[in-house]
Amino acid sequence: MSDFQILIESILQLLITGVLVGALYGMMCVGLAMIFGIMRVINFAQGDFMMLGMYATYFAFGAFGIQAFFGAELGAYVAVMAAGPAMFLFGWIIHRLMIRRVTGTRTAGMEADGHYAQLILTLGIALILQNGAMILFGADLVSVRTPLSSDAWVIELFGETSPILLFFNKSRVLTALFSAAAIIVLWILIQRSFLGKSLRAAADNAEAATYMGINVDKSHRIAFAIGTAVTAMAGGLLATSYPFSPFVGLEYVIIMYAGVVLGGIGSIIGAFWGGMLIGLIQQFSTLVLPTQLQNATIFVCFLLVVMLRPQGLFGRNVERT
Amino acid sequence: MAVLKSIRVFFALALAYMVLSLFVTNSYYQLILTLVLIWAIFGLSWNIFSGYTGLVSFGHAAFFGIGAFATVLAQTYWGLSPWLMFLASGVIGAAAGVLIGFPTFKLRGHYFALSMLAYPLALMYVFQWLGYPEVSIPRVNDNPAAYMQFSDGRVYTLIAMVFLCAVVVLSRAIEASRFGMALIAIKQNEAAAEAAGIDTLRWKLKAIALSGAIAAMAGSLYAVVILVITPQSVFGMLVSAQALTVTMFGGAGTLWGPIIGAGFLIPIAEILHAELGNFLPGIQGVVYGVAIVVLIMAAPEGMFWKIRDRLRSRKEAHSPAVVAEPAPVNVVSLPARESRPLNPEIVLDVRNMSKNFGGLKAVQNVSFQVNRGMILGIIGPNGAGKTTLFNLLNGFQLPSEGEVMVDGVNMARRKPHELCQAGVGRTFQIMRPFTRMSVRDNVKVGSYVAAKSEEEAEAIADDALRQVGLSHIAHMLAGGLSTKDLRLMELARALAGKPHILLLDETLAGLGKEEAVEVVAVIRRLSASGVTVVIIEHTMHAMVQLVDRFLVLDHGQVITEGLPQEVTRDSRVIEAYLGKKWVANA
Amino acid sequence: MLEIEDITAGYSSSVPVLHGVSIAIGKGQFISVVGPNGAGKTTLFKAISGIIPLRSGRIRCDGQDISNLEPSRRPHLGIAHVPEGRQVFPSMTVLENLEMGAATEKGRRDWKDNLERIYTWFPVLKERASQHAGTLSGGQQQMLAIGRGLASSPKLLMLDEPSMGLAPSIADLVFDKMMEIRRDIGLSILLVEQRVAEALQFADRGYVLETGRIVLEGDGEALKADDRVRQAYLGM
Repeated sequence: MSDFQILIESILQLLITGVLVGALYGMMCVGLAMIFGIMRVINFAQGDFMMLGMYATYFAFGAFGIQAFFGAELGAYVAVMAAGPAMFLFGWIIHRLMIRRVTGTRTAGMEADGHYAQLILTLGIALILQNGAMILFGADLVSVRTPLSSDAWVIELFGETSPILLFFNKSRVLTALFSAAAIIVLWILIQRSFLGKSLRAAADNAEAATYMGINVDKSHRIAFAIGTAVTAMAGGLLATSYPFSPFVGLEYVIIMYAGVVLGGIGSIIGAFWGGMLIGLIQQFSTLVLPTQLQNATIFVCFLLVVMLRPQGLFGRNVERT
Repeated sequence: MAVLKSIRVFFALALAYMVLSLFVTNSYYQLILTLVLIWAIFGLSWNIFSGYTGLVSFGHAAFFGIGAFATVLAQTYWGLSPWLMFLASGVIGAAAGVLIGFPTFKLRGHYFALSMLAYPLALMYVFQWLGYPEVSIPRVNDNPAAYMQFSDGRVYTLIAMVFLCAVVVLSRAIEASRFGMALIAIKQNEAAAEAAGIDTLRWKLKAIALSGAIAAMAGSLYAVVILVITPQSVFGMLVSAQALTVTMFGGAGTLWGPIIGAGFLIPIAEILHAELGNFLPGIQGVVYGVAIVVLIMAAPEGMFWKIRDRLRSRKEAHSPAVVAEPAPVNVVSLPARESRPLNPEIVLDVRNMSKNFGGLKAVQNVSFQVNRGMILGIIGPNGAGKTTLFNLLNGFQLPSEGEVMVDGVNMARRKPHELCQAGVGRTFQIMRPFTRMSVRDNVKVGSYVAAKSEEEAEAIADDALRQVGLSHIAHMLAGGLSTKDLRLMELARALAGKPHILLLDETLAGLGKEEAVEVVAVIRRLSASGVTVVIIEHTMHAMVQLVDRFLVLDHGQVITEGLPQEVTRDSRVIEAYLGKKWVANA
Repeated sequence: MLEIEDITAGYSSSVPVLHGVSIAIGKGQFISVVGPNGAGKTTLFKAISGIIPLRSGRIRCDGQDISNLEPSRRPHLGIAHVPEGRQVFPSMTVLENLEMGAATEKGRRDWKDNLERIYTWFPVLKERASQHAGTLSGGQQQMLAIGRGLASSPKLLMLDEPSMGLAPSIADLVFDKMMEIRRDIGLSILLVEQRVAEALQFADRGYVLETGRIVLEGDGEALKADDRVRQAYLGM
């Protein structure tokens, strides 16, 4: 194969992987966007919610016999769907007990409108979750690998003598499809359902929403729970391709915020595309940089977006009351 | 050495600590004693920046780690002694502080916090990639003391304690100086600080440089004491969290905070880790996490403040403070405003001032002149552009067009603190006093622009308090003041800058009828002493008693200007306030 | 149907904004509240809606004491609040904004009929049903805000300075519509307005609020010619 063909092959492969990984990042980011975009709450612990989702999926898969019942391949995805509601409930409780004390009208007297308190409270929660998971589950890497994780569809292009081969990892493809489906379902919920509309109204103007008879506190709780569940399920999906440990969350927090900020705060769909873009950037950065610096690249991207174009690609410049 | 005297309690405790450490022979406990001090120093460095300015930094591990790695690598590759690197780390840390601070200070709120988080994590990845998963300080056999290597752990405790003492003295000196006041002012209300003459960017950079320097030095010492470091252990999130937790637990904004926090949390975490670390790995993190969560829910201000507030309120309950009576203001028979002759000299000349926000013309072609010693009232219905006009006069907004001549110099595009230095003082409608500081200290913040020393600043502050009639409560904590006294304190703070023009923004808002009359009397006294006053107000019944002339704005334009009696019967003004139809019917 | 009895209310723990305010709104009545800036008119509305708590006094709706009722429950009792500055939901379409207005139980039941009537009163809303509310003009937003209030099938419509920021001709249009709606469905209206003459002319009763106290009240027509109203605004 000529050098040119090798280059083309690399680029296309990176593109494919980038899109597949990006779809998953997009889902993670959408989970964060529900919380950060709608409630403007900085949740440091979002990565750790993801981590919990991974463990929930792992246990659902193995310990609770889903693998036995549904088989190794399908079972993983069923496990992810089982983890979803569990994490929804978890998010609900966290908001009810702790988060709502530092958001909304109660922050009127606090410094910096409670942002300070939100950051620190969620940092505390993150520490408890990370280290608590370490105690409960140990530091060993585990995963929810299935036979699909190491199997791929192959496409041959520009064939005859030495075609370029493009690999579509089966597990990643299914994950991407699952993500896309989840996003579509969520989108329909946000755009069409009454609940979704009341969430958007509360995000636009919480006071006016109250004048409509919408219970903004409850709406926020639902948004928080949904955001937790979505990110957690994304984690479960990620677990089908990569092993994980209790500290995996921290890496992904910056990726998620980078994606949400890039897509534009306040836009759920924007967050998806932001995540997708981050996935592509991450993959393409390996063309010029060593793999260990992939994440450093994302941090740099985050800093650039925040400093040069804080409203992101699709962001609304709506000033909140 | 008033500074040293005020922390004798600390020196007593430090001495006791060192005496205690002499009795400890177990090397592990010696290490813990040293680590408590190092984390206290790290907490103090965080406090110097985030505690005082209120800009929460989640990235102090960046400085800590830089100091640690610089020290280890310098000894490994160039044979440099940690004694030298300790000081060098300070310089590197300061430089890193400025480098990080400069771009990041442009960001607000959550963007700032997230960015600060990114820096140490990025560094962590970089160092991992550079091939330093773990580095250790090389052992020196020949003259180890020159390389800060001692077999007796208590020596390290001593070194750390000396360092801590130095940082505590420094913190106290900052707290008592204009540096500290400037930082606290920035935390309370950055806009008001600017208006009081504080160059906020410069002070923030100074604070982060100093903070970075100390944090790096703490990291340097840490590396020497702990011998082995990894990118995770010095750049990791737990490290940044530790600085934050320790300080916030103890109480941010005071040097006692990090000390209390470190003294309490570190031993607990370390001992739990030692005892239970084998079957509960990560217990440290859980302890810190729980500490943070409990803290935010129950006592967000920190242990120090909570205890102090509790003690103070108990003291006040037992011995109710006898508040001296203020000099009585003859409220009932305040003479009606007589028109008095105007001084011919023009001190403020606004020419063709306009401000557009996109398509919206907030202020259109506004021109007026203010004579020396005059009281001008700017009035107009809601949305008329009054506050925008003030922001233009004061440097908070850049005009689209026009000039602001202050004593003949065009100040239209200068920054607020420059205007303050030029003699233009301003009060704000929404007041954010330093509730835990005395009235006098609150006012002192405003005096730094005119004063060259602490004594001068205090004298000016006292004088300003006298002028507004608050001398009798100069020592009271601002948190307990009534709205009227808060307004007078705001006025005193603006006066402390020795302005000759005062811009008052809704100074009478929130006051009852009698209180408004009292404040009006104070403003009239100020005017009599030579200060020129421009005031925005809605409270018309008080304004008509106060001003020499009115300037009426509506929809960003000047409708009319003149004496109160004329303006309040001018049909255009009535129309602006009550509507066209009202005038038509009259 | 709404009785505000001697209420004192304010924001933080400092001086209250409203002192001993009492206003009575009967079924189908049109009540106007006027007064200078800072008098507490918006604070009054927020107290009625429950956004700020009462320090003393009571508010009764159809005899029921609602002083401590959760703010998001009050619209369900028939109190619709059209806030100062319109405050439409900018990222949502006109139709979606109206749907949000119909979040109350009664609103949902009467949705089809209400929507038809709102479109008849404000044809421009029908034309622009799928336009984002943030892109509407001031006058259109005001109509949307009123429509949104009406979508809840209210018994009382509270309007906070509907003419603010609007050109006089548009403000007149909005006002005429309001009178038309009142005639059509016999709604109670509580109006706060800057344009004093218009506010008082058709009101059954007018109140003048100054520094948080009612300084003048009476028949709308009578107040219209009272110089004390001008004094309340201009101080002398």
